[in-house]
Amino acid sequence: MADVMARSSASVVKRRSRLGIPSRFAMRRYVLFTLLVTPAFLLRLVTAAYPIIQTIRYSFTNFSLLKGTNEYVGLQNYVDITQNYGVKGALSFTILYVLASTVIELGVGLLIAQLLNANFRGRTFARTINLIPWAIPTIVAGYSFRWLLDDQFGLIPVWYQDLMGKNLIIFIDPILSRWAVILVHVWKDAPFMAVVFLAGMQGVPLDLYEAAKVDGASSWQRFRHITLPLIKPLVITMALFRIVWSLAGFDLVFGLTAGGPGVATSVLALQVFREGILFFKFGFASAISVILLLLVAFVGIVALVLFRRADVSY
Amino acid sequence: MLKTPSRKYRRSILFDLNKIVVYVSFIIFCIFVLLPIYWTLRSSLANVSDLHKTPLIYFPEVTFQNFQTLLDQVPFLDYTRNSIVFALGTTVLTLVVSFLAAYAFARIQFPGSGVLLWILVLSMALPEVGTIVPLYRLLSKANLLDSIRGLVLVLSSVLTPFTVWVLVSFIKQIPYEIEEAAIIDGASLPTILVRILLPITTPGLVTMGLINFINAWNNLLYPLSFSVTPSSKTLSVSITEVFAGYSPWGKPWELIMAVGITMMVPIIALILVSQRAIVRGLTGGAIK
Repeated sequence: MADVMARSSASVVKRRSRLGIPSRFAMRRYVLFTLLVTPAFLLRLVTAAYPIIQTIRYSFTNFSLLKGTNEYVGLQNYVDITQNYGVKGALSFTILYVLASTVIELGVGLLIAQLLNANFRGRTFARTINLIPWAIPTIVAGYSFRWLLDDQFGLIPVWYQDLMGKNLIIFIDPILSRWAVILVHVWKDAPFMAVVFLAGMQGVPLDLYEAAKVDGASSWQRFRHITLPLIKPLVITMALFRIVWSLAGFDLVFGLTAGGPGVATSVLALQVFREGILFFKFGFASAISVILLLLVAFVGIVALVLFRRADVSY
Repeated sequence: MLKTPSRKYRRSILFDLNKIVVYVSFIIFCIFVLLPIYWTLRSSLANVSDLHKTPLIYFPEVTFQNFQTLLDQVPFLDYTRNSIVFALGTTVLTLVVSFLAAYAFARIQFPGSGVLLWILVLSMALPEVGTIVPLYRLLSKANLLDSIRGLVLVLSSVLTPFTVWVLVSFIKQIPYEIEEAAIIDGASLPTILVRILLPITTPGLVTMGLINFINAWNNLLYPLSFSVTPSSKTLSVSITEVFAGYSPWGKPWELIMAVGITMMVPIIALILVSQRAIVRGLTGGAIK
């Protein structure tokens, strides 16, 4: 079967298809292609595309396993969302937390990448442990930090008490809890960004730095005017990727605060899980999922616009 | 003549200053990364009472009592076995499916094949949590609820797009002449895939295998949503269950941290032996 690929050169295929008659080889290429990609597309169709379409459909029903209802209710779920304190809070915190942690992560990620790119003994060690926050389970990181920040026996509050003479009770304070979620997210994701930035930095030709050094540029100037502009596309790409992934993230908040105190740190993904899997309110949960989908789509459109611009300027 | 030594002197001070900045940042970085790891390890290996004392005991006497308690009180071995089977199963299925698709995308091009690849890769952005309700019903209809097979199927689907994306760029780097020669010698497609492409692509497959294994091992959402009994619950579910319990001391932190360490150790071990391979995979898709 594979011989078709060697014998049918691209030009032959093109000429034939322009005439509207697929050649025998071209046909066989299509068959072969279809065979090879079918498992991947089948998986995606059944467990991603179909469920998403179903979710959108459920969002217009009052489908609930416990109540036993399943009727078309129009936009009722969306009206309910605007009156639901928990979901509204989750929506605003999701946006705040994703934006804040992404901005901080870009900064911290660049700093870590600078360090990992420097020449010093222990660099390999640093590069290796840098992968640990990314690789360990998010749920474990959530619980570890919750214990690390425990108001009575956690390391950080105890140190704070020793230094400042005051108690630090994080998880009953909405503002402190929100900062805790954002900063633990930074701990988890900034090193991953650093890995990508480092790879970008290693691609910058060394003679650019040499030339700048000869001209007397300081290390900050070299970073600001050589490194940063050259890895800017990478920084934007990473920021958008992380925003999309963090929007749907659920494990960290589940472990660290479970959305508390009250609903101060609740996120949309957590609300979907609660309403859908814990309370079996499929219709309502699906409407929250659709809000999440719209957010992701919005970021996607922003991404497309940004990439268009980037294409023009390079 | 006089100027030269003084300039050299100034230079060496500057040089040292740079070194100092680097090493101070290095130390801060190590504390930043390792503090939570130390805290988890210390708490998992300590006696309960040692964790609830102030001033804090930084290096309590080491005991494996917490792990013994876990073995006695929860089906810990079942959970561990399920985690391993789930992670390995997902890794293998994802690699097989992705390798076939990546080969097609890398070697057979026609108008529209690029768009298909983009559709597949962009489907990565679909939020998984938005699919759990319909998936829950789908799995229950297919009799795959509360089974490792069901979990493997849904997670492999999530991991496939990124794996295909990275593998396509790996395969494209392989010169086509090698396959061409085999084709002229009359080799069939399975022979080409298994005998020629597989050995050359092994580094890429190992890298993506590691990344997928880590992802599956860490996955919480699917087992938490679709597992009902210990027959399919994984360690990530077990840690949430242990957290839900209470002990006379409050939350059973020594046990939670013991499950945490059990989940961390294999992952950290993998990283220590394969840092380079993993970085290559993480950056392979993004840079190019």
